[in-house]
Amino acid sequence: MKASPISNPVRAAWRRVVLGLAACLVPSTLGTAAEGPKDPLWSVAPLVRPAVPPSSRPNPIDAFVDARLAREGLQAAPEADRATLVRRLSFDLGGLPPTPEEVDAFVRDTDPLAYERLVDRLLASPRHGERWARHWLDVVHFGESHGYDKDKPRPNAWPYRDYVIRAFNEDRPWARFIQEQVAGDVLFPGTRDGIEGLGFIAAGPWDFIGHAEVPESKIDGQVARHLDRDDMVGNTVQSFDSLTVQCAQCHNHKFDPISQEDYYALQAVFAAVDRTDFKYDLDPAVAGRRAALAKRRSDARKRGAELAAAIAARAGEPLKEAEKSVAAAEKQAPGSEAAGYHTQIEPRADVAKWVQVDLGKPVALSRIVLHPCHDDFNGIGDGFGFPVRYKIEVSDDPGFAAGTTVVVDRTAADVPNPRVAAVEAACGGRTARHVRVTATRLVARQNDYIFALAELEALDASGANAARGGAVTALDSIEAGPRWQTKNLTDGWYPGVRGDGLDLAAAKRKRDGLLAAATRDDERAEQARIERELADVTAAEALLPAQRVAYVGAVHHGSGAFVGTGSKGGQPRLIRILDRGNVQKPGREVGPGALHALAFEPARFAIDPAAGEGARRAALARWLSDPRNPLTWRSAVNRVWQYHFGRGIVETPNDFGHMGMRPTHPELLDWLAVEFRDNGQSLKRLHRLMVTSAAYRRSTRGDAAAERMDSDNRLLWRQNRRKLEAEAVRDSILMVAGRLDLRMGGPSFQDFVVEKPEHSPHYEYHLHDPEDPASQRRSVYRFIVRSQPQPFLSVMDCADPSMLVGRRNESVSPLQALALLNNALVLSMSRHWAERLEALPGTVESRLDRAGLEALGRPLSAEERVSLSAYARRHGMPNACRVLFNLNEFAFVD
Amino acid sequence: MNPGSPFHRLSRLPQPPVSRREFLWRSGGGLGGVALAGLLASDRLLAAGNPSRHPAPVFRPKAKRVIQLFMGGAASHLDLFDYKPELVKRDGQKSDFGEHVEAFQDGLGPWMKPVWDFHPHGQCGKPLSEVVADLGAVADEMAFVHNLVGQTGVHSQATYLQATGFQLPGFPGVGCWASYGLGSENENLPAFVVLPDHRGFASNGPKNWDSAFLPPQHAGTVVQLGRPNPIADLFPARGGKYVTPASESEAHALMAALNHGHAASRADDARLDARIRSYELAARMQLAAPEVLDISREPNHILDLYGIDSSTRTWPAEINAAEEMDAFGRKCLVARRLVERGVRYVQIWSGNDNGFPRRNWDSHEDIRRDHGPLARGFARGASALIRDLRQRGLLEDTVILWTTEFGRMPSSQGGKGRDHNPYVFTNWMAGGGIRGGTTVGESDEWGYKPRDRNKPTTVHDIHATLLHLLGFDHEKLTFRHNGIDRRLTDVSGEVIRGLLA
Repeated sequence: MKASPISNPVRAAWRRVVLGLAACLVPSTLGTAAEGPKDPLWSVAPLVRPAVPPSSRPNPIDAFVDARLAREGLQAAPEADRATLVRRLSFDLGGLPPTPEEVDAFVRDTDPLAYERLVDRLLASPRHGERWARHWLDVVHFGESHGYDKDKPRPNAWPYRDYVIRAFNEDRPWARFIQEQVAGDVLFPGTRDGIEGLGFIAAGPWDFIGHAEVPESKIDGQVARHLDRDDMVGNTVQSFDSLTVQCAQCHNHKFDPISQEDYYALQAVFAAVDRTDFKYDLDPAVAGRRAALAKRRSDARKRGAELAAAIAARAGEPLKEAEKSVAAAEKQAPGSEAAGYHTQIEPRADVAKWVQVDLGKPVALSRIVLHPCHDDFNGIGDGFGFPVRYKIEVSDDPGFAAGTTVVVDRTAADVPNPRVAAVEAACGGRTARHVRVTATRLVARQNDYIFALAELEALDASGANAARGGAVTALDSIEAGPRWQTKNLTDGWYPGVRGDGLDLAAAKRKRDGLLAAATRDDERAEQARIERELADVTAAEALLPAQRVAYVGAVHHGSGAFVGTGSKGGQPRLIRILDRGNVQKPGREVGPGALHALAFEPARFAIDPAAGEGARRAALARWLSDPRNPLTWRSAVNRVWQYHFGRGIVETPNDFGHMGMRPTHPELLDWLAVEFRDNGQSLKRLHRLMVTSAAYRRSTRGDAAAERMDSDNRLLWRQNRRKLEAEAVRDSILMVAGRLDLRMGGPSFQDFVVEKPEHSPHYEYHLHDPEDPASQRRSVYRFIVRSQPQPFLSVMDCADPSMLVGRRNESVSPLQALALLNNALVLSMSRHWAERLEALPGTVESRLDRAGLEALGRPLSAEERVSLSAYARRHGMPNACRVLFNLNEFAFVD
Repeated sequence: MNPGSPFHRLSRLPQPPVSRREFLWRSGGGLGGVALAGLLASDRLLAAGNPSRHPAPVFRPKAKRVIQLFMGGAASHLDLFDYKPELVKRDGQKSDFGEHVEAFQDGLGPWMKPVWDFHPHGQCGKPLSEVVADLGAVADEMAFVHNLVGQTGVHSQATYLQATGFQLPGFPGVGCWASYGLGSENENLPAFVVLPDHRGFASNGPKNWDSAFLPPQHAGTVVQLGRPNPIADLFPARGGKYVTPASESEAHALMAALNHGHAASRADDARLDARIRSYELAARMQLAAPEVLDISREPNHILDLYGIDSSTRTWPAEINAAEEMDAFGRKCLVARRLVERGVRYVQIWSGNDNGFPRRNWDSHEDIRRDHGPLARGFARGASALIRDLRQRGLLEDTVILWTTEFGRMPSSQGGKGRDHNPYVFTNWMAGGGIRGGTTVGESDEWGYKPRDRNKPTTVHDIHATLLHLLGFDHEKLTFRHNGIDRRLTDVSGEVIRGLLA
């Protein structure tokens, strides 16, 4: 064991801190935790279906709510008017305002079941899944960049977002929804949702440097991985079971029946997985063929390795010496840190960019050789930045104005990417001092375009490279040394270069000679067979449909510092109880398991050690989704209730422990939980049940007597008026302006410009143009950056993807007012809306009537019409539209 | 109710909410103007109305406001403030720490003496590096802590730790806690203002001053000096040419009229009135913010004091001291103007991310190249700020706190640079309630670890001290989130008595 870098005495300062996660404090002065830790915890008691109180109301929800109101002597508010109801329902179920036509149709509909039909229509709309997916993404802290330093994008995180939307639109039973997210690959093999659901495990933040630049052998690396599992455990238990299990990291939970061992047993469930890009096939048949090919490859490689070992053993000591010489020669090659030359980043492809090398004197050239780059940015890898169209010219004029010869012209048609193969152009002995490469069509990088090149060689008749070390100039350059700088173009290093000197070639010749001498003929034949087999496998793989990639929690097959457990066949890391959460104080080993407080199953999973890591997650998934797990069902119905009523039956949706709130309607909560669990676990059925209740349909209007008794409306004598969430505000603005693009799914739109992507990308929101139609989609499809949250939505309280958000903050602030007044999106959408209105026949007044219906779901009053039209006449319709977007009534739903 | 039910302990009516403040905040029911806490003067009422939660201020506050200078990338204590004669003596000799050292990279080369000479300053005789000699004029105001320890040498986690008290995302910045505890003195300006490095954000970006689970009003408001809109959306964006002064003032009147009409039949919902008021405050902020950010009317001797060079707007491509002085000086001067007008917490950043070319303190390659200009820049501005506050009588109740991520190694990396040193580093404070001219806690002879390894100082001690100066018991300034009473100092932290005047 190595000595600790921060020695124990120094660490002692952190004796009660260690990982900065230990703050599970005694509520010293509050006295609001009604019970001490020894009292039984209400939320873990088994679920028993309570009897429905007698009631004249058809909906059992009302029987429970009304019985309570009657006991307290509270008078319920009357039902809201129909225009209010259709607006309320449209936002709750779909996240968008109703169109004037929808309002009108519902207000006039005399069918006694008109309300129910409206509910069914809204639940059947794809907008519903988008709306409710956003709620769930809050809960599981889904984001599309890592957070921390080097906040790199996760270009393949979106499949999880689409999975959630799909699951809600298809009304996935809740147990299956849980299982797909925790262990879909094991429990539903061969299904798309079984893979894409695993994005749940990977949803949260991840320390790139702590993983990718610090190996697990270092303490900082262990801390990073410990924090990573902690995030997975916290996300799982808080999202599905509403307990703050992370409090048991350093000690047994101070208030709730969660032991420190429970906590590490949960860590053991995730001990083999990391956050990783996972490749998969949608078609199980293709996946089968690919697996068979992979088996053939590994078999062939194994045979090859055995053969090589036998030959090496025979060659003995001289071969070992020769290998050492080769390794030493290879080391002399310049480092791969100098990746190459890289232009500035452009928003479009058709921009010409040139880079050129001064050979120092005119040289009779035989060939120009271009070496492409390799960069893993956005998963691109080989051929990074190689232009789609380009030309190579030589000239004695550094300005290329005169005496220019075009050596290669590939500007007429797109060129396939060469990967890292050298691209050669014959020059026929033409003499010139300057060589210029001009890209006429840049290559896609992310949602932008670049040109990059690792090396340019200008070879004379003898094969000597006259460009080596030559001065490089370019139209522009990103200049982010040492990785990207103009001088890298002539530094002699490119992917695949084997060093400069002849030493390497000589060393290799010697080694290869020794190997050849030690190889028998039958072995040679076998080697050839293996080579053929490997080539066949590669060829067959190339014919398979391309694999999809999703960022999920899975066994990672990595290299460098971030190895993952792939190299060990996915064997879980050993999990030990850490004293005070300190990775340097490991204690007893713990196997996978869950919480001992729920007695329906043993708290430690009985898993065949040979079963593989997936069995651990499958066991947890089953435990979470078990009908006997009372937390799961209470938690789910409480979350749904909260989004319909503005407050949960348990007001702390993420904490059903002693420090959380108690249910206001405990029997109702249990009745809903059992009803939900035992009747298909259909969320849509649950929504229908809730929104058709009289409690839901009540007016939000005040009542002096009721307010005196229950000013917070905890007993639901009226409906709660709700302030629209950030996404609903943005989506409504786009929709009312006539600009909302309802295209579903796929990669997220980006409402920022990325600058300086090499280290921690700068996500520049203020440079984004809201006129870009690609960004006019629903907010659920927005690319969510962790370190630099979207300012407009953040100021309106959208969820922070670094926190588990069971319930959003709701605030009112001058900064919010400024955003709604002056943000580029609002200003541009006000103008679009105005243009649309002005194209309508009629008068300013009639157009504003239409505007009122679109924005507020009701006709303007005479007084409003007069003042708004006077304003519009004086200052133009765009200003009037901007005023409407800023009204309280636009931002609140009665 | 069934007495056998697990809920039988429930009282007849639902129990009061966990945190009245939190509950009121979130539900918005019956809250009144306090929904604007942090930006409304009435914020104090909220704290006062919740005494069980905030017996605040507990102590007589020594200070009313804080200006924090945060050096992104990890500034070297050895080359700026923590003089080590032993390193001068052993310069170039093979380093020997007497124990295994886990370096972040491989910076365990020979011992390396400070890149600049040190000279004593002030009556206290504190040795300061030549590169921060400008601070000599205020050496007797400064109190140093040379035995701070971190938890990790990873930039991001270390930045989080210093900025929020926790080494992972999801926790409020220290300024958010100050705003949450103190409220605002000027409703026309945010209580917590952040002046980032003009080249970009340091590690973690705005997450370092995010309000996290605290009410969002307490988030740091970013001011980007030099941008057309220094505060996001302060004025209409490019696409808003149709907005004119006349249309704007009438728009406010029209909105108020329409909103009052809407609120009339919803009189019990205080959020609606609060939102009407937020538009009035927004309009006032549009007047107040440009005024406070405009330094053009500052006299020349003040501009000179801060090292602001208005004669040029173009700078060499290479990092240079004049440009750093100008940039940092502007932020310091604006910080003074902000606190003069009642802003509670100003955080000034020096250095952007850890990329290339280096424009922060992460000098793995060359201390002289990066630390030189950056240190000259911040030292000029910080010295000017302290002197300027002093001459205006503001220093006595304004705390200056100089922070960085961690320190740098006494051994060299590649001959001219230094690797990360999370095992010991320096902070200093000045101003309200601070005993100037002192040093509390020393590092060992190399500046490798604390001299007394059993008694290091942690960021939680610094934060506890800061809150103490502002009048709070750091253990009592809490906010319940997801079942946990969170505080800035997690579960530790002791007020550093030796720093107090």
